[in-house]
Amino acid sequence: MQIIENSRVKEKLYVEKLENGLTIMIMPKANIQKKYVIWSTNFGSIDNKFIAPNENEETFIPDGVAHFLEHKMFEQPNGTNSLDTLTALGVNANAYTSTDHTCYLFECTDNFLPALDELMDYVQTPYFTDQNVEKEKGIIGQEIKMYDDYPQWEVYMNALRNMYKNNPITIDIAGSIESIAKIDKDVLYKCYNTFYHPSNMVMCFAGDFVPEQLLEEVKKRLKNREKHGEIKRIYPEEPEEIVKKEITKQMEVSMPIFVIAIKDSIDSKNCKSDSIVKKHIAIEILLNMLIGKSSKLYKNLYESELITEEPYLEYEFSKQYAHIAITGQSNNPKEVLKKLQEEIRNMKSKDLDIEHFQRIKNMIYGNYVKEYDDVAEICRMFVADYMKGINSFEYIENYKQVTPEYAKQVLDEVFNEEKMVISIVEPN
Amino acid sequence: MSYEIKEIKKGIKTHFIKTNKFKTDLFAIFLTVPLDKNNVTQNALIPAVLRRGTENLKTQEEISIMLENMYGANLDCGVEKIGDNQVLKFYLETLNDNFLPQVENLSKRAIELMLDVVLNPLMENDAFKKEYVEAEKKTIKRIIEGRIDNKDLYAYTRCIEEMYKGKQYGLYKYGYIEDLEKINAENLYESYKKLLSEAKIDIFVSGNFENNEIIKYIEENENIQKLNEREDKHIINTEETEKKEKVEVSTLHESKDVTQGKLVIGLDIDFYKPNSRYVICLYNVILGESATSKMFQNVREKAGLAYSARSTYLRQKNNIFIRAGIEIENYEKALNIIKEQLEDMKNGNFTDEEIENAKKYMISGIKTVQDEQDSEITYYLGQELSGKLISFEDYMKNINSVTREQIVEIANNINMNIIYFLKN
Repeated sequence: MQIIENSRVKEKLYVEKLENGLTIMIMPKANIQKKYVIWSTNFGSIDNKFIAPNENEETFIPDGVAHFLEHKMFEQPNGTNSLDTLTALGVNANAYTSTDHTCYLFECTDNFLPALDELMDYVQTPYFTDQNVEKEKGIIGQEIKMYDDYPQWEVYMNALRNMYKNNPITIDIAGSIESIAKIDKDVLYKCYNTFYHPSNMVMCFAGDFVPEQLLEEVKKRLKNREKHGEIKRIYPEEPEEIVKKEITKQMEVSMPIFVIAIKDSIDSKNCKSDSIVKKHIAIEILLNMLIGKSSKLYKNLYESELITEEPYLEYEFSKQYAHIAITGQSNNPKEVLKKLQEEIRNMKSKDLDIEHFQRIKNMIYGNYVKEYDDVAEICRMFVADYMKGINSFEYIENYKQVTPEYAKQVLDEVFNEEKMVISIVEPN
Repeated sequence: MSYEIKEIKKGIKTHFIKTNKFKTDLFAIFLTVPLDKNNVTQNALIPAVLRRGTENLKTQEEISIMLENMYGANLDCGVEKIGDNQVLKFYLETLNDNFLPQVENLSKRAIELMLDVVLNPLMENDAFKKEYVEAEKKTIKRIIEGRIDNKDLYAYTRCIEEMYKGKQYGLYKYGYIEDLEKINAENLYESYKKLLSEAKIDIFVSGNFENNEIIKYIEENENIQKLNEREDKHIINTEETEKKEKVEVSTLHESKDVTQGKLVIGLDIDFYKPNSRYVICLYNVILGESATSKMFQNVREKAGLAYSARSTYLRQKNNIFIRAGIEIENYEKALNIIKEQLEDMKNGNFTDEEIENAKKYMISGIKTVQDEQDSEITYYLGQELSGKLISFEDYMKNINSVTREQIVEIANNINMNIIYFLKN
């Protein structure tokens, strides 16, 4: 196995790519009781158009299939449900779907190997019937309605719709009541056979493990699958510009909530992982310098009662999209936007404050180190980054190389007013 | 791992959790007082004002700069209801000195900063700084008004409020807008002084420290030295004090702008024997906490009525709450299925395997408490406030010794108190 060591966080990652194409990552954590594993496939809500291996025809699937499949994987041919089986072993099992991947996971203190048996068995055993597919529509329908009652979800989705014209990121991960009505067992099998091949999957473990032994345990439980050709994923061409600048929706909230977002461009030619990581770090630093807790703008907004707490700052990206999102609550979101734009202009007009820059950089270093305390966080992070072609250690290794000059360049390129949108949910 | 408690002054304790599992150190201070309508609002406001500035770091900006310089240390303040007590919480998390890019002694700076925030606030004319008090009154007002923003949580807290109408536990932890209006910098400072002289104080340190030098450092801190001795007046809630007789079931339907109905059912437990909490824990896991539970299996998997369907055990008040998000027109259907599950529990219609699974579930949960610094502190604080320290080993032993008969006995003494439904 390849061993990647990081001396700053004092952790090692063991990596192996098996002959069938499956990637396995293991981070041993002595002294921790909890063992955690995620088995993930590179199939998410945005993968809705593709040409399956050995086919010539395009397949176009209803919205919400990746998530629907996640729900249905637990059902087994002998009538059992793997979630029940795992729970009965005393392990805590779960699954989730994002825009670009689907994860099956469990955490446990005891019964690790029997639980691994079950996890690896059910993910390799699809079993869909007309009846079990129909039943799930009611459950997922309630999941969709639960999200409909979350104003934070609504305001974020509207921001995406304002930024992206064609990109399927604007589709709700769970789909809609109408789109899931169209899902049947055939489309689930088709997607399973296409995307749930070892060569399209990664497994990540963190806990008190001996990596070589664990690797053998995984190999023993893998079923033979024929070699897989390439999956051709088809994504629509996305224009550089945004769709529209503003959107407001009424819901029952106590105070308006907002997302200010900036669409970023994807440079498909220059997608080396270290340059993506550097850019990500620079954006995090810039966001905190602009509107973070110790910034002048934050102080100004807080004192003029335009915001009451620190906005949530995030740079979200995959191989298909990238944007900044600033989420907060304000009685006057448009005034917040105006002041933010002024501050960006002001920041662009001079060199970055070195002392401030260094301070935020230290803070971000601390945040990265803290990620390595929790086995669940480690697995989620390594898997999500893997899907972007990144090894999570790169953040700690590259942070030193982010200079004020480089960050300034990112500021000029990315923080573009023309690509900025605001989505508001206000009281009705 | 080791855990040591020391009473440094009457009513003031330090708790030292020595652990080498983490890259961070976590420090916490808890001020505990009985819940009281007369000062619940002031107490909720105090942490918000304290984090605005100290005599040494006069503004929020200065505090933030200090925290950023400490590699992104996190200062967290808040207020919680634990049983019939209101607990003011302050946390400070920093990187452990072993993980800093250069040699520094962050832990001592962290302790000083935290004690400074809690015990040495910025003063103006023998009161809090007026500007901060007025601004934070608005923050608390917004939080109180913001309660309707999360409809699931709103339904849950409304149900509790209704069940404990006119009682201490029915108070909202952030207080009341009408009381907020009466607060000014002077009377809030008086409340703060009273709080500091009367509250039970618990100071937690969790991290990889060689010896209890760190505790000595706290004891010798100037602000700690100034504190007086005090009687511990906090309220101890146990299964014995919280045994509740059967009442007529009430029903409350409220309307808000929701697309999904939120059903919450409050259950009372009319039973006490020593260690009955472990039996109730298992009852609750079988009824609705795990994925193999009756709620999950029957409301969600079999009937397909809900995505989220579960129950939780509120130990301090000895209640179980059943919660489900359902289609509004499926109210009767869901309610009937839930009632059937409660009957099944009474009749002992659950397998020995379900009991074993529930035990495994609880034990796995308790083992992992030690894998997270904040949940470990929460565990020990809960023990401290319940007046009895139970080790992780004893906890597991108690869970393992529960029998089927005990669970059925409990089931027959659990009664519905209220059915709350939030619809459109």
